[in-house]
Amino acid sequence: MIAYLSNLATQVAIFGILAATLNFILGYAGIFSIAHAVFFGLGAYAGAQIALLLVPDVVLACIVAAAIAGGLSLCLALPALRVRGEYFVAASLGLQMVAVTLFSELKPLTGGIGGLVGIPLPTLFGVPVGVLPVALAALALILLATALLARGSFGRTLTAIRDAESAAEALGKNVAAAKTLAVGFACAGAGVAGALYALHTSFVNVESFTMDYSVLMMAMVIIGGTGTLWGPLIGTVLLLSLPAALAFLPFLPATEVGAVQQIIIGLAMTLLMIFRPAGLVGDLSRGQTTA
Amino acid sequence: MSAARGNNEAPLRCEGLARSFGGLQAVAGVSLALPAGQVTALVGPNGAGKTTLFNLITGNLRADAGTAWVRGQPITGLKPWQVARLGVARSFQDLRLFTHMTVRDNVLAATERSAWFWQPGGAAGRKRRQAAAEAALEATGLASLADARAIDLAYAERKFLSLARILAAEAEIWLLDEPASGLDLASRMRFADLLRSATRRGVAICLIEHNLDVVAELSDRIAFLDQGRVIAEGDPQSILRDPALAAIYFGDRHEPASAAAETEA
Repeated sequence: MIAYLSNLATQVAIFGILAATLNFILGYAGIFSIAHAVFFGLGAYAGAQIALLLVPDVVLACIVAAAIAGGLSLCLALPALRVRGEYFVAASLGLQMVAVTLFSELKPLTGGIGGLVGIPLPTLFGVPVGVLPVALAALALILLATALLARGSFGRTLTAIRDAESAAEALGKNVAAAKTLAVGFACAGAGVAGALYALHTSFVNVESFTMDYSVLMMAMVIIGGTGTLWGPLIGTVLLLSLPAALAFLPFLPATEVGAVQQIIIGLAMTLLMIFRPAGLVGDLSRGQTTA
Repeated sequence: MSAARGNNEAPLRCEGLARSFGGLQAVAGVSLALPAGQVTALVGPNGAGKTTLFNLITGNLRADAGTAWVRGQPITGLKPWQVARLGVARSFQDLRLFTHMTVRDNVLAATERSAWFWQPGGAAGRKRRQAAAEAALEATGLASLADARAIDLAYAERKFLSLARILAAEAEIWLLDEPASGLDLASRMRFADLLRSATRRGVAICLIEHNLDVVAELSDRIAFLDQGRVIAEGDPQSILRDPALAAIYFGDRHEPASAAAETEA
C-alpha cells in the first residue's frame, strides 16, 4: 500500500510539473499546444541516456533533459510566432506526429518501439535517492517559478499578448522574444518531468509520449483551471487518482475501468466547458460570452 | 522634449508612403509631417487610407514605397515593437484592450517593455513604472476603477483606458484611431483636456476622426485624405470650409478625386 501510494505521489508530482508548465503557455500566453508530451519524451530519453551511459545522477539528468527539451522547444516556438488559435493547434499536432515517428524510429537514441530498458536506480551525488522527494522538490520549484513569473511583469506581458497581441506589440513588447522564452521555460520544465519519469519507471518507450498523453495533460490543465496556480495540480490529482478510485468500485469489472475512466474525463471536460469554462478553480466569469 | 530641439524638425515625418492590396492602391504616396505640440487630424471618407497610413508608419504593414522617420531616424522596415520603443504610441479603432487584465495591469503593462523574465531597473524602476501608471489612471479618471477588469468597463471608460495605456507609455508621438467616436459631450471635453495637456508637453498627435465638429474643436491642422492621397492640408477652418472637399467627404462627388488632387496641387 505504501509503495502504491508512493508511486501515485511520484506520478502526481511528475504530471503536476507537466500540467503546471503546460498551463504556463496555455493559460497565460494562450499558446494552445497539444505537443507537450513531445518535450516530456525528449526529457525522458535524455535523462535515460545520461543514466545509462554516464551516471544515474538525478540532478544531472534533469539539467540535461531541461537543456535538450528547452533547446528543441524552438520547434514549437517557431509556429507559435507565426500563427495563433486553431492554426497553431494544427501545427503542434503535426509536431506531435513527427516526434512520435522519430521516437519510434531513431533506435540508437530512443531504443525504437522497444524503448530504453534497465535504466539504473537514481543517485544524488553518488548516494542512492528516491525519485519522489526530488520530484516533489522540482514540482515545488516549478510552481514557485510559475507563480513569481505569472504575477510579475512577464505574466502581464504574456497575458497582454494573449488578449491583444497587436496592442502589446504597439506598446513596445517584443512578442516573439516573450513567446519564445515562455515556450522555452515550459518545455524545459516538461523535460525535467521526463527525466524524473525515466528514473522513476527505469523504462521508457514511445507509448508514454503519444498524443494521448498530450491530451491528458491538457485535460489536467483545463479541468483544474487554466491560468491559475493550483488548478493544474488539482486537475492532475483528480485525473491520476480516478483509475485508482474506479478500481475500488466492486461492481465495476477491471477490464472496464479504462473505458469508464475515458467517459468520465470526457464528460467532465464537456460539462466544465459549458458551466465552468475556466475550470474548477478558475475565475467563474471568465470565458463566457459577455461583451 | 523634442519640441525643444532647435532645428524645428517634426518628430514624425513620412514621404511617399505607398501600399496596395492586390489591385487596390490603399495609400498612394503620402507625405506628411507631425509637428511637436500640435494635433493633426486625418480626415477623409471611409477607405481613404487613414488607418492603412497608421499601419505603414507603425510597421504593422510593410510599405511598397516611401520612408518614415522618427526624429530623423528612418523607421521603415522596423517591427511594430521597435517603432513603439522609439516613442510612437498608437490606439486602435477597436481598442484592443487586455480584456482579462485589470485596468491597473493594462496600464502597467504599457510601462513594461522588456520581454525578459523581469524588467530592468530593479525596485527603483518598478516604483517609477508604478508611479507612471497611477498618474495615467489619475489623468484619465480611471483611478477608482483600477481593480476592475477591462472587459467589465463601460464604453467610454474603455476608450479612456486605451488612452491611459498611451499616456503611461510616455511616447512623444501619438497616433489615435477614432479616439473620440461614441463619446458623449462631457467625455469628449475630458478627452480634449487630455490632448491639450499632452500637446503642451510637446507631444505630436495625429488623430483619425469622422465627426467634423470634433475635428474643428481638437485639431490644429487637418490633412485631408482621399483614395490614398493627401489632397489638402492646412488649418481647420480653411479645410472644413472648402466646398470641393465637403463634396468628397459627404459622398456628393461630382468629379473624380484625381481632378480634385490636381486643383489642390
